[in-house]
Amino acid sequence: MLEFRFPDIGEGITEGVILKWFVEVGQEVREGDSLFLVETDKVNAEIPSPASGTILARFGEVGQTINVGDVVVQIGDASAQSAPEPVAEEDAGAVVGALETSNQVLAASSEHAVAVNGASRRKALATPAARRLARDLGVDINAVAGSGPAGRVMKEDILQATDGPKPEAPPQAAPASSAPGQEERVALTTLGKTVARNMALSKREIPHAAVMDELDVTELVQFRQEAKGLAEQEGAKLTYMPFIIKAAALALKEFPVFNAVFAPETEEIILKKHYNLGIAVDTPDGLLVPVIKNADQKSLLQLAREVQDLAEKARQRTLSLEEIQGGTFTLTNYGAVGALSGVPVIKHPESAILGIGTITKKPVVDGDDQVVIRHMLPITLAFDHRFIDGGSAGRFITRLRAYLEQPLLLLLA
Amino acid sequence: MALMNLITTINHTLDLAMAQDERVVVFGEDVGVEGGVFRATVGLQEKYGDQRCFDTPLAESAIVGAAVGMAINGLRPVAEIQFSGFAYPAFNQIVSHVARLRNRTRGQRSLPMVIRMPHGGGIKALEHHSESLETFFGHIPGLKVVVPSTPYDAKGLFLAAIRDDDPVIFLEPSKLYRAFRQEVPEEDYTIPIGKAKVIKAGTDLTVVSWGAYVHEAVKAAELLQAEGIDAEVIDLRTISPLDRETVLESVKKTGRFAVVHEAAKSFGPGAELVALVNEGAFLHLEAPPTRLAGFDITIPLPRGEHHYFMDAQRMAAGLRKVAHF
Amino acid sequence: MIQDYTAELIRGYGALTGRMLRIMDENGVVQEPDLVPALQDEQWLELYKVMMLTRAADDKALQLQRQGRMLTYAPNTGQEAAQVGPAAAMGKNDWLVPAFRELGAWLHRGIDLKSVYLYWYGNEFGSRFPEGVKVLPIAVPIGTQLHHAVGIAMASNIKGEDDVTVAYIGDGGTSTGDFSEALNFAGVFNAPVVFIVQNNQYAISVARGKQTKAVTMAQKAAAAGIPGILVDGNDLFAMYAATKEAVERARSGGGPTLIEAYTYRLGAHTTSDDPTKYREDSEVEEWKPRDPLRRMKAYLIRQGLWSEEQDAALYEQYGAYALDVFRQVEAEGEPKVEDLFKYTYKEMPAHIREQYEEYVQYLEGKVD
Repeated sequence: MLEFRFPDIGEGITEGVILKWFVEVGQEVREGDSLFLVETDKVNAEIPSPASGTILARFGEVGQTINVGDVVVQIGDASAQSAPEPVAEEDAGAVVGALETSNQVLAASSEHAVAVNGASRRKALATPAARRLARDLGVDINAVAGSGPAGRVMKEDILQATDGPKPEAPPQAAPASSAPGQEERVALTTLGKTVARNMALSKREIPHAAVMDELDVTELVQFRQEAKGLAEQEGAKLTYMPFIIKAAALALKEFPVFNAVFAPETEEIILKKHYNLGIAVDTPDGLLVPVIKNADQKSLLQLAREVQDLAEKARQRTLSLEEIQGGTFTLTNYGAVGALSGVPVIKHPESAILGIGTITKKPVVDGDDQVVIRHMLPITLAFDHRFIDGGSAGRFITRLRAYLEQPLLLLLA
Repeated sequence: MALMNLITTINHTLDLAMAQDERVVVFGEDVGVEGGVFRATVGLQEKYGDQRCFDTPLAESAIVGAAVGMAINGLRPVAEIQFSGFAYPAFNQIVSHVARLRNRTRGQRSLPMVIRMPHGGGIKALEHHSESLETFFGHIPGLKVVVPSTPYDAKGLFLAAIRDDDPVIFLEPSKLYRAFRQEVPEEDYTIPIGKAKVIKAGTDLTVVSWGAYVHEAVKAAELLQAEGIDAEVIDLRTISPLDRETVLESVKKTGRFAVVHEAAKSFGPGAELVALVNEGAFLHLEAPPTRLAGFDITIPLPRGEHHYFMDAQRMAAGLRKVAHF
Repeated sequence: MIQDYTAELIRGYGALTGRMLRIMDENGVVQEPDLVPALQDEQWLELYKVMMLTRAADDKALQLQRQGRMLTYAPNTGQEAAQVGPAAAMGKNDWLVPAFRELGAWLHRGIDLKSVYLYWYGNEFGSRFPEGVKVLPIAVPIGTQLHHAVGIAMASNIKGEDDVTVAYIGDGGTSTGDFSEALNFAGVFNAPVVFIVQNNQYAISVARGKQTKAVTMAQKAAAAGIPGILVDGNDLFAMYAATKEAVERARSGGGPTLIEAYTYRLGAHTTSDDPTKYREDSEVEEWKPRDPLRRMKAYLIRQGLWSEEQDAALYEQYGAYALDVFRQVEAEGEPKVEDLFKYTYKEMPAHIREQYEEYVQYLEGKVD
């Protein structure tokens, strides 16, 4: 049984009015016989039957409006090769310049342009070449300050932002100087230059003072020994750093002045509410300090993983700008390179830095006046003496000691 | 206010213009008695008589040339070319005279005339009924070229064109003639020629289009929105003079640009926009300014035309590449 | 009957005489026995059958359009004699340059109905004709084809060949600049071309009277200095005779001729046109009795060569044939994507190839 739908017969009509029927239900028709006369706004047309057969049903009375696509006639026993059903869908409309016609209504317009929301984030001005460089170095160009015309971000700005790995060759043998053999000139790498600048700035601006202590980390050593297998199963290499970072983060919460920045212009102490702890990493090119964001919120395992990850990236020089910015407190582990103890330089504009030495076994006098062998860790806390005094420093260290000498406290805190 | 489709809007606007200004005359092939093959001029001859609305012999060069003469002699002619593909015989008149008379006479004589024609394709018609000529016209100094994409805009722009003392080519996207209706105010209003419109604000990608493609571009933008790409869609509305400000302001905000048009890609209208963006927003670009355009082939006959003309899906595919560059 | 046509008809019926050549009247009765062309009756019957096929194929196309299966179609109803007559008078190697409404001529000159339907169905392959068929494709921009005809004819001269070119145009087309230019060129170069104006009284809605103030279109030949003749376009004998003389004139070096076939467009301009908007039904009714098939049928029946029953049966047969052809077109009428690209140049240049490949990839991506 064939359902014949009212086709779009010209210039994109959507509807028509039936003026006259030529067939009755039950009547035999041949393909091509006129079925009905329809009036549209372009033409009056006789609509021919698409197939031969019997009219099984007729839909629509004279005077009634039918829409393109409406079934108007059902023809039964259509001839063997019945014609493909005439398509009345808009897209197959066959008709002269078949204009799609529809009653769809567009939203009303007005001449006021749509409210254009201003750009929410800062966008850098940069040439495509600069953008390419930034992308290759993994630097977010929109966060780089531009030193070029009209604030354009130049290649140099991008390189600087990464503390410049740039293909700067390692210092070559210097060109001969006035006293050949008496001296050798070694050019600093870009990173080296940055480090030199920052060190000088720190010492120049911040009056350093330091307190030192030795922590009995015997329990910690044991704890770590027991835990490191488990940690490895969890995909983390458990060194002492995660413990120290955690301890430091907790201590900083109680002594916020060590997680602050001094603002000399306004003579204010700006206490930072995030605890972004930087870990100094020694790389072949120099010192890099990747930052662990929100260290207070991370578990020991997370810290362990992150330390590993950041250290690796630092060595590979694949750190992003994100990863080296935003630090509020720094830890430096010179013990890892063999120094027993040291006096670190605060990373300007932070207010303190914790130096960590080497754990060694030492004879110690215990509470019962017995000499026992304990694992001892020397630490140094250097601080900005403009607003931090020895008393605060001492108390901070005491808190650290509490966490590190009784590691279970780290889990409970 | 009335709900009108594009063709009814043209008709209504001509009626309005003719009522207001007796210098406005309307003519072309089948324009008078029949009211135009698309019914754009229906009823006008009855209302205004056959001196002001009339049929011409089949001769496009003469139609445009006569319009030139009428404009010189104080009328404001609105000449119809039945399909943009039939404008070619009139090109000599358009390039040699319509565009140049003001300059030739150092402003002494000018041509306040409009040449209107159905434009663009997607209407399943024979050869020459689907052409996009805006790049040819846009390239001729002295002409203004306008392409509305909605009934509301069409009325405002058409009235502006008729009242403009410079010659205007008014391109009517035939695919849109009956595709939808819109509220169109009954009273007089104009929309300035040379002003594009941001029809969807966005932050990630600027998409410029005109004519029938505007509506597909909006649909493409919706597809992208669902993927988290917030495209800004601009309806150019006037090809010449181009609204550089609106386009550049948008690109400076988004950093990414694509132009979508029916006309063939090479040496097409999109090339002009890409050049504009490169020159005016170079430092803001995060991706190459891109053209999504017709293939460099003769527009296919109806059975093949769906390959040529882009739907929202294909547009979105092209836009995605720009967004993700 | 007359064997030698040289200049005979032009002398008697040339454009400036104000007379119209008519050999057979509306009822199929021969009025000018001396002018009946020298063909056998069987040959006339064959030509009548071509006109019948034209009519049947046309009617079928219109039906199919109303069913939404055929796209816009330009019917030929009422103009069959103006098309078949001249085609029959052409030589084997002659060229035919159409406008767009000459189905009878195309069919007679070797274009298969399938190509015709394929064209109106919207596939470019409909304009690729069988080998050896010297017919150009439809020219949509009105009048432009006349220059091509003149060029073909000029080349025949240059090559020393005696092929003649027959070019068609409508009454609307005679208003174009191209029309005047082409006639002028043809005259100047003595090109062996015959221009046939099918004056069917309408250019879409514009009545012939509004197309030109000239009394006839044939007289426009005078401006180009070439012979012109006004002929009853619905008289197969007259169309044949006038074209035969013009073709012989051209072939023997006598140059171009303009023939105005005075006929009537019984149908609409195309299937999207509604003639009731601009002409009276009464006018159409006046012309129906002048239908070229009607008078030729009457003639043949009177000659004892035909019958109403045979006529009805043949119409049915041709209708079925046309439908069959259309079904084939429907079955294979969708173009291949590559075809859209590969005929722009002889070799697909890199930039087009790139666009094609990218598009194909896109289609494949869409499919999965």
